[in-house]
Amino acid sequence: MPSKLIYNDQQYTLDADKTLLENLESQAVSVEFHCRDGHCGACRSMLVSGDVTYSSFPMAYLKEGEILLCCSKSEKNITIKSL
Amino acid sequence: MAYTTFSTLSNDAMKEPMFFGNPVNVARYDQQKFEVFEKLIEKQLSFFWRPEEIDVSRDRIDFLNLPDHEQHIFISNLKYQTLLDSIQGRSPNVALLPIVSLPELETWIETWSFSETIHSRSYTHILRNLFTDPNEVFEDIVNNDEIQKRAVDISFYYDELIHAVQFMQLHGFAQTDIKYVNIQGETEALTLRDIKKKLYLCICSTNALEAIRFYVSFACSFAFAERDLLEGNAKIIKLIARDEALHLNSTQQMLNLWADGKDDPEMAEIAIECFAEGKAIFLKAAEQEKEWAQYLFKDGSMIGLNEEILCQYVEYIANQRMQAIGYEAPFKVKSNPIPWINHWLVSDNVQVAPQEAEISSYLVGQINSTVDSEDLSTFEL
Repeated sequence: MPSKLIYNDQQYTLDADKTLLENLESQAVSVEFHCRDGHCGACRSMLVSGDVTYSSFPMAYLKEGEILLCCSKSEKNITIKSL
Repeated sequence: MAYTTFSTLSNDAMKEPMFFGNPVNVARYDQQKFEVFEKLIEKQLSFFWRPEEIDVSRDRIDFLNLPDHEQHIFISNLKYQTLLDSIQGRSPNVALLPIVSLPELETWIETWSFSETIHSRSYTHILRNLFTDPNEVFEDIVNNDEIQKRAVDISFYYDELIHAVQFMQLHGFAQTDIKYVNIQGETEALTLRDIKKKLYLCICSTNALEAIRFYVSFACSFAFAERDLLEGNAKIIKLIARDEALHLNSTQQMLNLWADGKDDPEMAEIAIECFAEGKAIFLKAAEQEKEWAQYLFKDGSMIGLNEEILCQYVEYIANQRMQAIGYEAPFKVKSNPIPWINHWLVSDNVQVAPQEAEISSYLVGQINSTVDSEDLSTFEL
């Protein structure tokens, strides 16, 4: 069974090879982004449950519980919401 | 408190605050108190570019074909960008290097400011191509009232900090013999905490400059390129925008590290104390940018962008940037009024694919292929 990505209470499928941002975009969810490289912070979101791994160093300042969607991936079910 | 270029005091940079600790002595990068500044240096170095790499020759034709009111928008925007980078090319160095205490942050400040000088050089590159003599454009930057209004506000916080730091370094804090007269000519009791407040407000103002003011100007540059006009200029602005994302990140880092108590504990207190003043700096910057939008579009709008849309974008980007440093979003606007701008702000596809845009370098030879004897009438040997 494919993993789930829950964003703002809506359920989507999760492709572990894609970043969370790409996952949302491929399912027609428009999410704010600028650099797509982890340094501008435009895609900061809240991690409600689950874990992320970063494909590149997340340079933008993250407060407790915040993640960057553009450079993170997840292999298991994950719940996030916009700030 | 005098500055020393190489302190012989054996100190542990890992225990220093970002600013106002011991001066940096050994420039070592094997360890960092705040790793992010090292990452920023590496990223900024990997972004290195030179204005001459981008061919802007096609832009001249586009520019000459613009109606007067669009020429006004384009040139005024470029003047404003020139002003912003004139300030940023020197101010972080002059204001922050004398007080910095971490080697990675010191080098970041130098790397940051250096990249701003590349931006300044690229405006000259663009203007040289548009005008035979760009002198008039440059001269207007210090004569134009609308630009002046902004310049004063932006440079004020830097100047205040620089002035106070210079006094401290010459005279220390015992103001028994010599009183501190601030930049407005008023006597002021100066303590280290007072200077730290000036630093806090200066970083707020710098962040407002790089995170809000710059993006309003980017929107105008990219709006032309969305119509396939002035694409050489847009390619340069795209490179500039890529750098600015790093710069605004660094000032957000400083403000957040202070506010979250991860750096100097006194700065955490100051972040609370100056919360309202900091907010006012951002709101004023947003207000000024809206006035600027009014000036830009005074003679008419352009396709894809007008005063109203640009003002909405000011509010939208101000919301985003203020939230990033712990303020509540002050404006109602929820969605980006110009979503197309995001595609210009992506950092890893700065190289535009040939099928997506006219490659300006292919057009060099066709700038003016019809020449008749009239064109050579002023030519003398």
